[in-house]
Amino acid sequence: MKVDRDALISTIGKMKSEGFDYLLKITAVDYVDHVDSIYILRNFDTSKDEILEVTLDPADLWVPTIIGMHPSADWYERELCEMFGIAIKGRNASRLILEKWDGVDPPSRKSFAWYAPYKTIDDNK
Amino acid sequence: MNLQNDLANLLNIPYWMSSTNIIHNIVGIIIYIIVISIAFSIFGYMVGWLERKLIARAQYRHGPTYVGMWGLLQNMADLIKLLSKEDVIPENADRMLFAASLPLLLALSIFIVLLLPYSPGLQAANLGFGLLIVFTIISFMPLLLFTAAFSSGNKFADISAQRSVLILLSYELPILLVVVSVAALSGSYNLAGIVASQSSSHYFALLLPIGLVVFFIAMLAEFERPPFDLREADSELIAGWLTDVSAPYYALALFLDYARMFLGSIIISILFFGGWLGPSILPPFAWIIIKALIISVFIIIVRATTFRMRIDRVLRFGWVWLIPLSLLNLIITYIVIIPFVK
Amino acid sequence: MTVTRINVGPVHPSTHGVIRLVVDLEGDTIVNVEPHIGFLHRGVEKLAESRMYMQIPPYMEKLDYVAPMSYNEAYVATVETAMGIQVSERSQYIRVILLELQRIASHLLSLGTLCNDIGQTFTAFMWAFKDRDIVLDLLQEATGSRMFYVNMRLGGLREDLPADFSEHTLNTMDYLEKRIPEYVAYLEKNPIFTERMKGIGVITRDEAKQLGVTGPVLRASGVNYDVRRSNAYYVYSKLHFTPKSLQDGDNFSRYKVRILEIQESVRLVKSALKALPEGNAKGMQVKLRSPNPVNRISVVNRELPKGECMMYMVADPQKPYRLSIRSPSFINLAAINHMAKGERFADLFGILGTLDIIMGCVDR
Repeated sequence: MKVDRDALISTIGKMKSEGFDYLLKITAVDYVDHVDSIYILRNFDTSKDEILEVTLDPADLWVPTIIGMHPSADWYERELCEMFGIAIKGRNASRLILEKWDGVDPPSRKSFAWYAPYKTIDDNK
Repeated sequence: MNLQNDLANLLNIPYWMSSTNIIHNIVGIIIYIIVISIAFSIFGYMVGWLERKLIARAQYRHGPTYVGMWGLLQNMADLIKLLSKEDVIPENADRMLFAASLPLLLALSIFIVLLLPYSPGLQAANLGFGLLIVFTIISFMPLLLFTAAFSSGNKFADISAQRSVLILLSYELPILLVVVSVAALSGSYNLAGIVASQSSSHYFALLLPIGLVVFFIAMLAEFERPPFDLREADSELIAGWLTDVSAPYYALALFLDYARMFLGSIIISILFFGGWLGPSILPPFAWIIIKALIISVFIIIVRATTFRMRIDRVLRFGWVWLIPLSLLNLIITYIVIIPFVK
Repeated sequence: MTVTRINVGPVHPSTHGVIRLVVDLEGDTIVNVEPHIGFLHRGVEKLAESRMYMQIPPYMEKLDYVAPMSYNEAYVATVETAMGIQVSERSQYIRVILLELQRIASHLLSLGTLCNDIGQTFTAFMWAFKDRDIVLDLLQEATGSRMFYVNMRLGGLREDLPADFSEHTLNTMDYLEKRIPEYVAYLEKNPIFTERMKGIGVITRDEAKQLGVTGPVLRASGVNYDVRRSNAYYVYSKLHFTPKSLQDGDNFSRYKVRILEIQESVRLVKSALKALPEGNAKGMQVKLRSPNPVNRISVVNRELPKGECMMYMVADPQKPYRLSIRSPSFINLAAINHMAKGERFADLFGILGTLDIIMGCVDR
């Protein structure tokens, strides 16, 4: 289900009242021209999962935090912020969780430099 | 002087050793100290080996097998390994206290060993208040652990030190109350007198079963055996007061762990199981060692099977169960046992 | 009262791997626990984007090195979903048998380390490892390896089961059926054990949903959700699988749920072996070129021993475009602050033990 970023909070809130009260995962996929932030919610009574996709513009990467409705989003949002460089509005998610990385280039983005150009000592001179 | 005669008989020392000459006396006592300390070390070592073997058997393992026959020399190999390592004293430790605590603990253990009687007359000093002196020294041991822990400047050791004091406060009292009942029953604070007042049908273990149970549990806590090994709780505090203790001191700490267990077993066998008393097929000192070894085995089995208690539960157990039971034991001793049984 | 800050780990006897917990203590009571993870982060998700589909299973197995086959199966099932490959019925049965054996092994290890964490001198640990070893022998017989199996292939397995496997497994299951009650008697008759477990680290039903915990931790809190029944895959519904759940949500329920799950797995393995149909169990050989995926996005949920795993895969020809793994240990560990707050310092390790985290799975 595609969701607009501005409608994310209200959608998740509405779904929570409908029984989708368990957050399974927050993740993201980098499609180079756009980044999808993905929220997977679960209804335990009907055993149904619902996948919400929020399409983001790479130039304007942020999502609102849902930590108020789902406290379990805490670490997922931090991971999102660290691995995809997606800013989380409404909370401080900047503390690194998985990597001891200076955060210049988010590792899970496609633009991440896999193999840093090899430099010899002579090149540095 | 019985001591020199006995020693002379035991070790086949020439007669001049057992004379009443003061110099000969001093030489005799020094030899006694050396012999008993070595014997104590050997038995402490053996108990260490026994513990490793028994716990291994409880866990479907074989324990040490390679070094020496049945792995008897494994502890020696560990000792040599530890002695060959670098001794590191942490930067923010109080060097003097840190270095002094464990040797002092060893010294106190040997002091107690010397005060205990092993057979009639085989005792360095037969003091009138020997029992009280032994337990005074025993209560110093947690204090030494406390100084060792606090002087190392490690936070885990700090927690261990606090626990040490808490256990000291709540488990010292039941021990002393039971000791008082034992003294009342035998009519003396003299250790040799306590043994002599028991006979094979009148072991204090039979007269004071509650006292024995309380004393055994409190001694487990006193010598930090499981389930009361909160001071070096390895799954929580890494090694507690031993966290920053390295190489030679650690070897000493390991040895003391075993040696103090054996010491506690000897004390229990003297107070409750009639010390050296037993059929004359074996010499008296053999009986006390056999009894102590059996008690040690029991302590080891407790260690192999039980879990560690939490500090608040340990304290509650001490105050809610052990102290009332030891008081009950004292009352029964005075009201029932002394008037009717004796 | 002053607050002491203690650093537990990364090097500590009972942290189950490399994790650092910054614990604030007020006296002996925990005020706050701040887990620092990432010491074992290997970037598996990113690594998967640069490998061919069937080059990835060895990486997946290293995520959870206590139950490697479960992760491997979850990944292979995701690829099968993406490519629309059917698994033959015999392979389904064999997969269920092997996965349940893996679950027994994992839970036994969890039980042993839990006993160590609450302060036993390795006795129950050794017993559990001895029994786990017997189960690993079976897995070795079936796959040829004891730790990392890599025996799942698209549409089946690398090898069919050996001839004697059924008989050996039934014998072992009979042994375990007698053995597990011995653990229960030994542990639960010990007052120190029950005292250290009951009422510690409580998560209520609502809190469990809020915190997002999964697997045995979730079921111990009264949420009777198990992917094997609610979202049944393979032949679990034919084997009449019933999930085990308890209501209390404390350490004891979490331990007990694992014990019950071992017994249920033993039952499952026995009935699956009895119902094992004839047929082909071999999957596709690993080739340089694998079939092209038919689904762009495939989502697969699996009940691992540690909890529910979800693989979200965006498929490209020949390699995944993006593989996102929902690791159960990761989200279970995130709940530790809530569980440990207000408990004694010594109980932190009991809680950590009942969470049954594997750091390779947490950090990915």
